Amino acid sequence: MSILYDEGQQAIASESRRILEAHVTTEALLPLLETRDAIFEPFWTIAKEQGWTAVALPEAYGGLGLGLVELGLVAHQAGRSLSGAPFLTASFGAARAILDHGDEALKQRWLPVLAAGEAIGAVAFIEGQRVIGGGLAFEDGKLRGTKSAVTGGTRAGVAIVTARDGDEMILAVAELADVERRPIESFDNSRCAAHLVFAETPAIELLRGSVAEAAAVHILALQAVVTAHEQTGGAEKLLETARDYALTRRAFGQPIGAFQSVKHRIAEIYALVELARAGAVHAASRAGQDDFIAAAAAARIQATDGYDTAARDCVQIHGGIGVTWEAGLHLHMRRARSLAVEQGNLFFWEDVLVDRLRGKAA
Amino acid sequence: MSDVEAYRERARAWLGSVAPRFGRAARAGLSEEEDLALGRAYLKERFAAGYSGINWPVEYGGQGLSPIEKVAFDSEEMAFGMPTAYFSISLGMPVPIIMRFCEDKAWVRERVHKALTGEEIWCQLFSEPAGGSDLAGLRTRAETDGNGWKINGQKLWTSWAQYSDYGVIVVRTDPTVPKHKGLTYFWVDMKAPGVTVRPIKLAGGDSHVNEVFFDDVKIGDDHRMSPVGGGFAVAMATLMIERYVATDSAGFGPHLDLFVALAKDLRLNGRPAIEDGRIRQQIARNYAMRAGLDSINVRARLMMEAGMTPGPEGSLNKLVAVRSRQKLSELAIDLQGAGGFHFDEYASQKEDWASSWINAPTGRIAGGSDETLLNTIAERILGLPQDHRPDKGIPFNQIPA
Repeated sequence: MSILYDEGQQAIASESRRILEAHVTTEALLPLLETRDAIFEPFWTIAKEQGWTAVALPEAYGGLGLGLVELGLVAHQAGRSLSGAPFLTASFGAARAILDHGDEALKQRWLPVLAAGEAIGAVAFIEGQRVIGGGLAFEDGKLRGTKSAVTGGTRAGVAIVTARDGDEMILAVAELADVERRPIESFDNSRCAAHLVFAETPAIELLRGSVAEAAAVHILALQAVVTAHEQTGGAEKLLETARDYALTRRAFGQPIGAFQSVKHRIAEIYALVELARAGAVHAASRAGQDDFIAAAAAARIQATDGYDTAARDCVQIHGGIGVTWEAGLHLHMRRARSLAVEQGNLFFWEDVLVDRLRGKAA
Repeated sequence: MSDVEAYRERARAWLGSVAPRFGRAARAGLSEEEDLALGRAYLKERFAAGYSGINWPVEYGGQGLSPIEKVAFDSEEMAFGMPTAYFSISLGMPVPIIMRFCEDKAWVRERVHKALTGEEIWCQLFSEPAGGSDLAGLRTRAETDGNGWKINGQKLWTSWAQYSDYGVIVVRTDPTVPKHKGLTYFWVDMKAPGVTVRPIKLAGGDSHVNEVFFDDVKIGDDHRMSPVGGGFAVAMATLMIERYVATDSAGFGPHLDLFVALAKDLRLNGRPAIEDGRIRQQIARNYAMRAGLDSINVRARLMMEAGMTPGPEGSLNKLVAVRSRQKLSELAIDLQGAGGFHFDEYASQKEDWASSWINAPTGRIAGGSDETLLNTIAERILGLPQDHRPDKGIPFNQIPA
């Protein structure tokens, strides 16, 4: 897969951007912060209508048969507009796990509804500080225990979970209809995070042992590449916002963008955005290759640093107005942090990457 | 395999065949004079093999290929550590610029041939004590002298002037107009009476840059390469002429694999250093950053191959790669403890952490300082305002010193 976008891919980017810019406003996003389990509903409607939920799934199961590069382009625009309900990435991760490791009946049960957006999927690996937790008990086809702060957990109909059966890690899929959900109050409420409490919940085993662990990392890596695009989109929007503000806001008789302390800060954001963009598309193009996990980890690290720094510095460049509720820059601060933790934090990905480099250089 | 890949394969095979005589190992322990002589011999063979002036016109002795082949060859050549540094400025800017701006084509052809075969070297006499980043602030002057000109003044940081036969130079011919408008561009014979070259020893111990003094140096008007007062435009053209160069996400320092190997060999608090979180974080962050730069560079190559113009993000490599190389080199020295003190003046910056570290500041200043590059990104790419320039529009001789 080339990292040079072709005409069809460029059309996905421009069309998704056009639609989202026509629908999303800061005013519509702000109230979501003060309500649990509220998403920007038009986004999900648009995502279903446009087939974004189906982009990277095979045509045999109702998908569009495209790949990570194309899904990344949509995620980039979702990041720019802050509109991204978490389900795009979460449902994709869940669907890929079922596609790669499930039997035909399971695929028929879930993939068409996930591709259509009729069902929402979740990847529930996290337990507290552990990115891939194994505290959930799996016994006789039933799950017992709690997965904490699962993104999209308030609405997901199906989840991929890591659990433990004796000493072995299990990768399993569970329908969530009868699972207790405890929505959590977070700084970015539209991520729909909830603790999922499993009590003798029936689940289907997908993998067991070391292959289950490797598969869990791979699922997170797929999601991390999508998220890296979303983070890059957010950082790119902040770069433009900072630049535009620096051109219009005047102090000491000139635009503040004429001061090197400001213009150099913005130039540094540009560097981070371009590094993140290049890293993300490189990782997407390596799907299915031996170096995919390392490329995904690198993309994730660069994009996390880029979005965090862009959020921090864009607010700083705005001065007082930047910290107001109304200006909405805090929406990016919040999203930068929630995306930094979902799909594994920097500690996790740095370890994944260095372990691989260590092996390679041996 | 694409044509470019085939070209790259052939180039690599040729480089491999001559590397035993000219490559890194063959150069070990040579004095600079011996190394330069080896470099001249290498250029002669490279010319004969058809790998010189790759994207230059055939009428001047070039190969008439595209920048794609040139970048492909350069990036392969870089890996072998050939003795090409003495000729990098010469063939990078002055010689291409005389091809474009000198009228006497027969003379140019002879110069190009001798430069490509390593017989002659050109330097670029731009920076001065009073003007590096502020090029148009230069003070070296040329006054009319009969039918020609007389040059007086001093240039600084001139790479390889001590070995140069010719140079291109920007001088002030009219101090009564604003600074950009009073400059004129010439070529000079570096062996002419009144030209004095004094090497400057740099922090790392080497002396590839020089001070060059001009005392009543007389040149004919046929040396002039720009209209009188139109020298700044040709100076800018000189700096822009080499748009397609092989880049290095390691910032021309050691590859990250060498740091990983070091961290596996050495121990920190009784366990392999690569298990230490501080070391791991630096490896991961550097890898991620370099992966981004590599991807930018690959995309630029793909765009060129597709007949498109690469984006401005290619300019990030120097800014981002060199400063991170500087920090990583510091860390590598720290990690080695007392072993990190060892210093070999002749060690390669691509392989030795101390050499990489001591020479890194040069990389962050030469050819556009970090700050100048940030200004360029802010102004040219992002459209932010120029800095306040108190000397703007004022005649040069009325600018407060």
